[in-house]
Amino acid sequence: MRTPGWKLLVALLLLPLAPPAGAETDDWHAVVAEARGQTVYFNAWGGDLAINHYIEWATTRLHDDYAVELRHVRVSDIAESVSRIIAERSAGRDHGGSVDLMWINGENFAALKTAGLLYGPWARQLPNARYINWEGNPSTLIDGSLETQGYELPWGTAALTFFFDKARVARKPMNPADLLNWIEQHPGRFSYPQPPSFLGSAFLKQMLLALSPDKERLYAPAGADFAALSSPLWHWLDRAHKSMWRSGRLFPRSGPAQRDLLAVGELDWMLSFNPAEASRAIRQGELHNNIGALQLDAGALANSHFLAIPYNSTATAGARVVANFFASPEAQARKADERYWGDPSVLDLASLDAQERRYFDVLDTGPATLPPAEHYLAEPHASWTTLLEQAWLNRYVR
Amino acid sequence: MMALSIDKLSLCINGQVLFAPLSLCVEPGSITSIIGASGVGKSSLLDFLCGILPPEITAAGSARIGNEDIGNLPPQARGLGRLFQEPLLFPHLDVAGNLLFGLRRGNSRRERRERVAAALASVGLEGFEQRDPMTLSGGQQARVALLRVLLAEPRALLLDEPFHSLDDDNRRLVRDLVFAKAKQRDLPTLLVTHDQEDVAAACGAVIQLQAHV
Amino acid sequence: MMSKTIIARPAVLLLFCVSALPALAGLTAAFWVGLDPAAMSRVVATPGIGLSIASSFWTGSVATVLALLLAHLAVALAVSGNWQRRLNALILPLLAMPHLAIGIGLALVLAPSGVLLRLLSPWATGFELPPDWLIVNDPAGLSLLAGLVLKETCFLVMALGAALGQVPAARLQTLSATMGYGPLKSWLATVAPALQQQIRLPLAAVFVFGISNVEMAIPLGPDLPPTFSVLLWRWFTDPDPAIHAQAYAGTLLLFVGGIAAILAANFIGGLARKLLRASAESGARRNTEWPVRRLIAAVLASGFILGLLSIVAIGLRAFSRQWRFPALLPDHSSSDIWTDVAALSASVATTTLALAAATALLGVALVLPAAERCKQSADARRQIGAWLFLPLLLPQMTFLFGVQVLLIRMRIDGTFIAVLWSHLIFALPYLWGLLAPARAAIDPRFDQVAATLGVSPAKRWLTVTAPLLARSTLLALALAVSVSVALYLPTLFAGAGRIATAASEAAAAAGSGNLRLAAAHAILLAVIPLCIFAIAYATGSLLFRHRRGVPR
Repeated sequence: MRTPGWKLLVALLLLPLAPPAGAETDDWHAVVAEARGQTVYFNAWGGDLAINHYIEWATTRLHDDYAVELRHVRVSDIAESVSRIIAERSAGRDHGGSVDLMWINGENFAALKTAGLLYGPWARQLPNARYINWEGNPSTLIDGSLETQGYELPWGTAALTFFFDKARVARKPMNPADLLNWIEQHPGRFSYPQPPSFLGSAFLKQMLLALSPDKERLYAPAGADFAALSSPLWHWLDRAHKSMWRSGRLFPRSGPAQRDLLAVGELDWMLSFNPAEASRAIRQGELHNNIGALQLDAGALANSHFLAIPYNSTATAGARVVANFFASPEAQARKADERYWGDPSVLDLASLDAQERRYFDVLDTGPATLPPAEHYLAEPHASWTTLLEQAWLNRYVR
Repeated sequence: MMALSIDKLSLCINGQVLFAPLSLCVEPGSITSIIGASGVGKSSLLDFLCGILPPEITAAGSARIGNEDIGNLPPQARGLGRLFQEPLLFPHLDVAGNLLFGLRRGNSRRERRERVAAALASVGLEGFEQRDPMTLSGGQQARVALLRVLLAEPRALLLDEPFHSLDDDNRRLVRDLVFAKAKQRDLPTLLVTHDQEDVAAACGAVIQLQAHV
Repeated sequence: MMSKTIIARPAVLLLFCVSALPALAGLTAAFWVGLDPAAMSRVVATPGIGLSIASSFWTGSVATVLALLLAHLAVALAVSGNWQRRLNALILPLLAMPHLAIGIGLALVLAPSGVLLRLLSPWATGFELPPDWLIVNDPAGLSLLAGLVLKETCFLVMALGAALGQVPAARLQTLSATMGYGPLKSWLATVAPALQQQIRLPLAAVFVFGISNVEMAIPLGPDLPPTFSVLLWRWFTDPDPAIHAQAYAGTLLLFVGGIAAILAANFIGGLARKLLRASAESGARRNTEWPVRRLIAAVLASGFILGLLSIVAIGLRAFSRQWRFPALLPDHSSSDIWTDVAALSASVATTTLALAAATALLGVALVLPAAERCKQSADARRQIGAWLFLPLLLPQMTFLFGVQVLLIRMRIDGTFIAVLWSHLIFALPYLWGLLAPARAAIDPRFDQVAATLGVSPAKRWLTVTAPLLARSTLLALALAVSVSVALYLPTLFAGAGRIATAASEAAAAAGSGNLRLAAAHAILLAVIPLCIFAIAYATGSLLFRHRRGVPR
């Protein structure tokens, strides 16, 4: 069977499946060819059924279209994988690493990039990179306070959204003062994920931004004035904790944990970076349907998440093929579809041709989904995150 | 059949000699009784013959069947049939299974079954094939154990107080059966006992095993 | 002297190479990497570290004392009431249930929105919303304590049951009955002190597990701050390398804690014997024991019901999408829930089962030849047992971290083989404890009979020894499967996160507080051991069901 004719036939059959031609078509063909048969270990947070299903769908498609075997390594926190890569580096395993592709952002990306443990740059060379809204959405280029420089590919972008039980929240509290008011009038019914979890830290940053008179200062490295500048936040939290769930002595451990608590009725609120999260949960019967959403008047903290390839990946070609697939209009539209994941797309819809746009035109949004945010707040400088987390632990862990 | 003979045998446990050097010869069809105080090494003598002495006991001397020295043969190649103090029927096999286990290889399945049935009939246990050995009386178990030994076609028979655990009536019946079968097959038989009735019924030579001093 | 020659046998040496040797090597490697004064001082400076360590010790020690007390009382009650067999059958489901599953289940039962309050709401409590009570993950660690006591009582009841064979219990009881003591008192005064002596190792293992576990502390333990072991677990999974060094150094502290726990367990055991003896020497008798018996029975029964409820709660939560308080049953159950759970579980079920099966088969294959060697020497069996038990006396994280370092060096981390190996380390002590005595209990004369019938050694083993060992072997296989299924830290450390089992998924989900997802995985944790034990018992009683003499 090993005749050239047979190989040619396979190549011809695969031809229509190849991505659209671009300037670097030949290079990309080489990458796709190299990727065939590779197994890509994709370390991604596995705490959400819908996301897992989405990745399973991609696994099937990648197997069928590119003969790439995607293996979703479900981690509870991508930090685990970051520490693995660091451990492999210190053990001298510079090839044959255990991670090929990872779902990453913020401090985890910073940890790997500054240690030189990422493969790249590669992201902007992908054929589908041209659809990404690089110019319109600065959070695709700056992750935390670090420039991505093509070491990671934007996968999704979102804004911190508060969801609440409409039966219990009559008037939307649109600023910290109103929120505190509500909390004090409804003891035991509000909480936020425990810092330093991803969403917990995001809540601290969101509140700090909303409470700070001088937001600009937060985009420069934190300094000796940290205590003074963060004091409005601690003052707010000190008061809120007294009336919060478990009197602020216990916090939901993560976003999904908080969603669980909202679903069983222990809480009236939950937080998410995904404005469509509640709608999706309602659609899937995980949440009752009387849920409302809001973003604070001061602006919603924006956040993009990315795909990166570790320096010692065994399947860099396979990983790039997977990433390129994830950035395709089809995959991005399915990701934005609330029936599947409901995570807003990173693509610039204006750059798509009519056929590609159709994927997005058919999406319908659910009852608890907010329209796209009016103004996004970029993340404060990364040094604030670390200091906020430390200060929070020192203050509330006793 | 050939004679079973022992030549200048002494057994040592942890450097201590058990009994005076022993020599004897059992002719085919005859029964030699060995008596002696408990602990003198009667059972160990049989263990030696079977090749299953525990490692802490060492032996000097030899044992032969006819002219063949059996001392260096593995236990399974010695061709000695032994009845232990208890019947020791395999609990996981039925009566027929126990007997088939003893029966030498060869012949068809049906012929083997028939031989087992005939053997059972010969000791008054017709139709006992499917029974769980644990549901048999002591006398019945003893008879099955005897058949199991005989079906293995031994060259000599070693009896280690096999009637000891039976009640009086059964003891006589089983003893007569065992002795009759041994004589019928012309087997040299060595009987270890401390029951005078056994010795009398054996009608053979008697050896008193004396502790070594 | 004799046991020395036994230990030099290849079959026995192989056991050591698989079990005690890597554990010791791992410990050494952990010290090699972990001794770092700078990191140690950062450990000590962590906010709430004192509270973390204190809550580890508090929960571990109180749980050990309570479990020991309850286990003695349970066995005394059962044996003196002639229902010991029933007690063993009763504890089996809870014993087979992994700590992680019971922990997740208890969280679902005890929480303010849990099954217990739903049973009473709103008709008895008037609660339309779950009350804001800090029960699960409470700072005092009471719910963690409850979980540990529940599991460890079962473990110690099993250990006491195994030790029962070494003590002339029935005679001692009759004797003291003739002196006017009731059955309960005579048990505690005469039999229990002797048993206590026999369970020193299991008791120490319980204490060490109590202070070093994450399986129960993740779902039930305090959060602000967590127990010391959970703190270490979080450090191990942090992206910051500086924090890693803290985790390494912390495992050494955990090791010191483990040593302290062993000493403390010894002290508690000694104290228990002294107290039991003192009560014997006091000469006090009661005419009627029933009020005391009732009380003990009530405490045990409520623990048992709590355990069963937690298994039920796992099932309810896994197969529900929405479950608003105070509804007793989930509002919404549709068939696509099944596909949800099936899709989730199927991917890990295969790995979990393959690992468990491989662990069980390989473990039995390693233990049987060594048990064959030791069938005549109780001393050798005890010595080997103690060596194999060693990994259960070390805090898992300390030596597993070292094992991980070695595996990375050998470039076999993250492989099935590496995880299998780490599972064997934990399965072997149980397999040995079950199979070595079972092998020794077979009358050696069966083999001699077969030898005089002219059967070769290999065939003798296959046709005589193996069938007589079949039931024990089936149980041993089931036991090894349930041990393997329950293991979390070995899978995490040796598996490099690539090998996902039901335990690792359930722990990750519980760690992020996502109880529904945790329950979906815990279902497997609960179902596999239960099924496998049921199968083992059913097959075991079908095998030789008409043969009364075959050992159980």
